[in-house]
Amino acid sequence: MKKKTTEKKGHVVAWINKAEWDQVLEYLYSKDCALQKYALHRISAWKGRFAHNTPIAVESTADLVRCQILDRSGKLDADDLVLLYGTALMRFVNLITERQQGKIARPLRRLASNLKIPEWIVNLRHDITHRKLPTLKWCRKGCKFVLEWLQQEYWSRQLGSGLAENWESQSEGEDGEDELQRQEDELITRQKEIESYKKARELLISFEKEQFQTFEGFLEEDKQASLWPEPSADMSWILAQIKHFALESSEILIDALIEDGFMVPTIEQLVSLSVDNSDPTAPHLPRVVLRFWLPLLKDLNSQLFIHLLLEKLFVELQQLSEDNQKHRSFYIAGWISEVILCNSNKNEYHYESKIQRKARLKDKIFMKRIQLRWQQLLAACLNAPCMATPHLLQQILEDMEHPMPLDTRQKLLRLSSIYTQGADSGCDPPMEHSGQPSGIYTLESLHERLRVQSRRQVYMMHPGIVSDSRKALPERTEDFQEHLSPDVLAERAAELRGSPWQVCTDKVQWKNYPLGKVPGQSEDPSCLMVDNFSTIMVFDQQVEMENATQHNAHAGVSMPHRITTDGLLWTHNDISKLKAGLQLF
Amino acid sequence: MKVQKSLPKTKQTSKRQQCNDKWFKSNRIAKNPDSSNLSPSTAMAKLEHRASNLRKDKPNLKRLKKGAKAVSFRPVKTPAATERTPSRPLTNGGAGGPEQGSDSDESQDWSSFAKSVLHQNGGGESMEGQESCVSTKAAPGRIEEEAFVHCAERDYIHNRTVLVMQQGQTLCFRGKCLLSCLYGRVEVHGFTLEEGQQSYPLFSPSSHCPLTVTALGDSPNPSKTKKAGRLEAKAIVRKYLSTETRRRLLSEVDSDSCVILLEPLDTPLTRFLNSFPDLKEVFGLSSRDIRESSAMLDTPLSGLGITPLRKTARGMVMSQTYREALNGLVNACAEELDGCPVILVCGAKNVGKSTFNRHLINTLLNHTASVEYLECDLGQTEFTPSGCLSLSTVREPLLGPPFTHQWAPEHMIFYGQSSCETDLDRYLESLKSLWRLYNRETPIVINTMGWVKGFGFQLLVDIIRLFSISHVVQLSSGDKVMCPQLTPEFLRSSHGWQTHPPVQSALGEDNSGTHPAQRSYTLFRIHSEFEGAGRPGEMRHQRSNEQRDLALLGYFSQLQSPEPGPVRPLHCFTPYQVPHSAVAVGVTHCEVAPTHVLYTANASLVGLCCLNEKVSGRGSPVLLSQTPVCPCVGFGVLRGVDMARGLYFLVTPVAPSILRQVNCLLLGAVTLPNTLLTGQTGILGDPPYVTMDYSFELTGAGKLHVFKGLVRPGQMKNAK
Repeated sequence: MKKKTTEKKGHVVAWINKAEWDQVLEYLYSKDCALQKYALHRISAWKGRFAHNTPIAVESTADLVRCQILDRSGKLDADDLVLLYGTALMRFVNLITERQQGKIARPLRRLASNLKIPEWIVNLRHDITHRKLPTLKWCRKGCKFVLEWLQQEYWSRQLGSGLAENWESQSEGEDGEDELQRQEDELITRQKEIESYKKARELLISFEKEQFQTFEGFLEEDKQASLWPEPSADMSWILAQIKHFALESSEILIDALIEDGFMVPTIEQLVSLSVDNSDPTAPHLPRVVLRFWLPLLKDLNSQLFIHLLLEKLFVELQQLSEDNQKHRSFYIAGWISEVILCNSNKNEYHYESKIQRKARLKDKIFMKRIQLRWQQLLAACLNAPCMATPHLLQQILEDMEHPMPLDTRQKLLRLSSIYTQGADSGCDPPMEHSGQPSGIYTLESLHERLRVQSRRQVYMMHPGIVSDSRKALPERTEDFQEHLSPDVLAERAAELRGSPWQVCTDKVQWKNYPLGKVPGQSEDPSCLMVDNFSTIMVFDQQVEMENATQHNAHAGVSMPHRITTDGLLWTHNDISKLKAGLQLF
Repeated sequence: MKVQKSLPKTKQTSKRQQCNDKWFKSNRIAKNPDSSNLSPSTAMAKLEHRASNLRKDKPNLKRLKKGAKAVSFRPVKTPAATERTPSRPLTNGGAGGPEQGSDSDESQDWSSFAKSVLHQNGGGESMEGQESCVSTKAAPGRIEEEAFVHCAERDYIHNRTVLVMQQGQTLCFRGKCLLSCLYGRVEVHGFTLEEGQQSYPLFSPSSHCPLTVTALGDSPNPSKTKKAGRLEAKAIVRKYLSTETRRRLLSEVDSDSCVILLEPLDTPLTRFLNSFPDLKEVFGLSSRDIRESSAMLDTPLSGLGITPLRKTARGMVMSQTYREALNGLVNACAEELDGCPVILVCGAKNVGKSTFNRHLINTLLNHTASVEYLECDLGQTEFTPSGCLSLSTVREPLLGPPFTHQWAPEHMIFYGQSSCETDLDRYLESLKSLWRLYNRETPIVINTMGWVKGFGFQLLVDIIRLFSISHVVQLSSGDKVMCPQLTPEFLRSSHGWQTHPPVQSALGEDNSGTHPAQRSYTLFRIHSEFEGAGRPGEMRHQRSNEQRDLALLGYFSQLQSPEPGPVRPLHCFTPYQVPHSAVAVGVTHCEVAPTHVLYTANASLVGLCCLNEKVSGRGSPVLLSQTPVCPCVGFGVLRGVDMARGLYFLVTPVAPSILRQVNCLLLGAVTLPNTLLTGQTGILGDPPYVTMDYSFELTGAGKLHVFKGLVRPGQMKNAK
């Protein structure tokens, strides 16, 4: 479902930065109970941030460290401690093996051994759950071992230990078993794909061979004739096979087709077909190459196939435009242009002779105009900027079923030709009179233009397209900072007057400060510690806000109650005591 | 079957028009000028304004004239109830006075509508399903590719499309747009739009069932001939299209066709969502549309931001029971013998509760100016980010999923988690205190949570008892029984969490007048038959956590300026500041060591709440010792903490006049969408709380994860 490994985005965690993580790790494993307690408190804050996403390892570590602290405090009996240790250990074993569990329950022992957790720890868990409780000594031993294990397997390897390759694969809690199943499925489909790909190549090679033979024989006969002989029996058989193959896996067939050596001929092939290359801005497929493949394409020209072919060609073109392979992109663009041309409904052939017309139609892959997905094509075309883009774009724009407004078309063409640096060659005459200043080659002026003139129209009409062509331009640093006008500031201030709230009037470039950071904040992970605080205990409130005066009508009496503590930490005991105290009122 | 259905329908319409014709004429005069003579530039700005601030300030919203009648439907409106929101006229067409019909007239209108709902919807579906039977008629059913050539025309200059629909034709689409009805009547998700009304934003994202616009036709007026109607419709088309483009359309227009205007929709919400790479396609096609290639990509509508769907894509599927329930409830609202109906909608997860709620509210809004809505579902909230319980007054139709209408409710209580199981009492207490604020003068729809087993069911029983429900709608799907039928008899003997059945005295005393809670109610049972009913959605943006994130993004999109311009990330806004000692901070979902509480609060989502107590902390932070039930006025992001000066910085769309009352910030398990933190651009240094290096490969790095339905090896053998 999720396929986003290309662009690595950060993952949201509960610690501000690595320093905070390091501090907690250090304190957790220190010998000093006060520091350990500090770390536990910080983890309690992390749990608040993480909500339901607290890592199991963090939670388990905290539980076990808590036991150690209580043990060392000497306030609890051995029996109390066994229960505490028992719960922590049991939870650790259960939770840590949970992800290893498949659809069918497997013995914990085996799961644990996969994780390098020795059997005696698992036995300890079994003892705690359904046998005689272990002794305190064993509990302490187990706790010590597990804490070490956690340090080794989780804490010391986490964050920046160079293990973070495919970290998104497991995020958001995907099921382990699904993962396995999926991998298996993927493998199978992969295998199948490879096989059919091989087959596609074989078929195409045999087609090529046959064609080359006919071609050679035909070269000898008559160089001028534009007519290729009727397909031989062998050829019809090959074609039938290819057609059959395309029924099932046209996608793979197309993949193979647009490989080098097929629809994109190699230099050798070109030599044997006696073709030489030409202008890259106006991709025009050599007729021979077209005719070479024509029998096959004519056979396959379902609407679906054409859609797919165009789509794949554009994808290919996009990739090529990135690695700059001229030869290949010339042919890919040529084929695109050819296909679109076939679909064209232009009537500029009024004056041709019957023979010319016949010849022209003969070179067409298909006759009947089909419904292309113009919007998608347009987007694809813009996504694959190359030398030929202005040419292709023009073809598409002219041919669209519901053409865009003229000026939008012109702007798009202009933009694309600027982007591909073919401004002089790619432009059409009608664009020149649109009265643009010629010095529009800087990004700023272009951006300005886009914004001022065409934002309304172009953007509203074709949000997708414009954002696409924008994407192609490098990001211009826009001023995102919110500037409140004096009027707004005054208005807000007036509305807030008399309350503790204010609009922040510090001269701060807030756009420079991410959420969670303020000017002057230190990098020290203990910068947010609260030294002094007061607590307030309130009862349920009446929800209706307007009638604050007659508040205790329904919802009980409210009674503020404050305890001021100076730097003293609350233990959970204290909290529960406070809660118990609630009933006194 | 189709023919039989359509026959009474025509009768129906003729009956309808009798009560409609009164307002018809006056309406015609009042409309149009404002929409037709807008210059292109101001038009855009107006649309913008209209769409974004629909809720906040609607100087001249228009509603069916029947809406105006609803005043008499319950004439006493206490001024106190409207005190908070700026007072607005309930009659919103500007012609409220003359057509105050008599009671009988009105109820006739109601019931006739109810019947027409039944018929139209029934007709609509069979039209789609059995095209062959009716194909010779004026092409009812989904508008298909070829038809667009004839019935739609794009105006490139103003960038809008005029679409002529014949009675019964439907347009099912993905995307977003602004819809105005120029002539006739169309229906969208239960809501009827008539000519002359304001335009409404429609949102049909890929995550939900696509919206369908159905042409209802113009109910012919006896005083008006067919020809006059046709001329009028043509005049309207002429007004909106230039000479060369309108020719084709004019031949399509007839007196009973509908003419609608579709315009692109660009609001702070859509701009804000579009600024996140992962959400660019929210209003695009769903993977299923693509797989089944049901999208018509090349139509005159394509440049507007909507994509019509072919017949292969199913719109909303309404089962027979669904229509009956809807019909019954509309009738119930018409009768109003003893107070307004209190409608409770319940059912397990993913059976279509929320879709039904929206449909019901929209349908009721055809008749009444407002409907109350009580949210009892913490997870899939309709008007607020999740984790909140709320009471809303709904005045606008709901023509999109929840994240497209994050409107501030009249009253809200912050609970802090997306399910209530950790504190059932606080949940019920919160609901009770919201219930006390319901004025009982308008119909109310109560949405409940999908937890219908164990304690969840007990809570449901409590809600029915405590809130004197008059109608229960119980949705179910498939054959699996998720919870018992909530018949009044069943309820008489079942235990709730707080309430218990009356003690059956041995004598025949019975529960006559002693237990007011035992008031009986009507039960409607709906069997959902749409595909995938009862199962969670699997497509993109369908998962519940994605929906929650979208709701929050929808909420915070209110910060964006209504004028088009750069989309500002949250950290770029000028924050509000407040001293630590003036607001209390509380964590609702777990115990956090007080000295470390700011580590939880920093850069977190906070509920802005109001305590009656004065909060003052002698210069130091004030912490809540436990979570009270208290009013919440909105949400904010605690953008940062200035330790040196003792200030909290807060970014919130809540208006300053309301913010001034806030003295408590509550934190919950509902967190900010990750994209808000990871996607911050233009900042100095690395963003806090974001790391590239966290490895999920390591054991224990993931969250707690519960496998349900683990099979034991022994069970396996038995199965074989």
